[in-house]
Amino acid sequence: MSFAFDLLLAAALLWSGGRSLSVDRLDRAIVLFIAFGLLMALAWARLAAPDIGLAEAAIGAGLTGALLLDAYGALKRRKE
Amino acid sequence: MTDLIMPWISGTLLIVGAFFYAAGTLGLLRFPDVYSRLHALAKADNLGLGFVLLGLALQAESIAVGLKLLLIWPLALAASAGVSYAIARRADSLGVKPWCKDSP
Amino acid sequence: MNDIALAVALFLLGNLVITLLAAARGPTAADRMLMALLFGSTGSGILVLLAVAMSIPALVDVALVLALLAAIGGVAFAKRAWQEDGHD
Repeated sequence: MSFAFDLLLAAALLWSGGRSLSVDRLDRAIVLFIAFGLLMALAWARLAAPDIGLAEAAIGAGLTGALLLDAYGALKRRKE
Repeated sequence: MTDLIMPWISGTLLIVGAFFYAAGTLGLLRFPDVYSRLHALAKADNLGLGFVLLGLALQAESIAVGLKLLLIWPLALAASAGVSYAIARRADSLGVKPWCKDSP
Repeated sequence: MNDIALAVALFLLGNLVITLLAAARGPTAADRMLMALLFGSTGSGILVLLAVAMSIPALVDVALVLALLAAIGGVAFAKRAWQEDGHD
């Protein structure tokens, strides 16, 4: 059971990471990056490292995602 | 007596929570527009989280640990209510029309 | 008991992956952001279940932080990033 969990987590992590690099539209890449941050926090939790998981959940999934979305909105406003 | 019954109650609550999570995911995948997806997601998922937390808090070692688990629920409720309000208001101000049965 | 917690966590992770696969190619920007909202609630559920299944109580704190900060991402999207672009 735990092996299946780890396998699924690793596959989703690799897929979202690769896809967020290769996708052509910026907003999709940002959402995939947020998903990657959350999955990475789960992976750290699974590796029994709650402190790094805490930092990853706060910085990776939360603050960086909000900052990137804000920057995307500012870019789009400037383009108009 | 309590020790015998408690794992069963707790496990049942966990499975009920998983069911509500599945219902929320199904709603996100199948519903037609932003508003109905918000409706499915914000309520069903947080109900599932509430059941899971209740099931885990029932078998916590001490009262403090159980209360801390239950404390996550009001926080998640407030957060999802705020986000849902912001997204729905933004969708309305951008002119996204609610889905009707006749519309394509 | 730990087995059932891990089983439910695996089920929730499956939910998450299905949503990720389906919503990454979703038609509108709002759908993809709703996916991020779902990640907040489902992710904190998985973390709480892992905290019990692996008996690491500190993971409950991670779940709290995730539930709080997923909201910030959603609000930043609604207030700042989501503008009319013909895709909606």
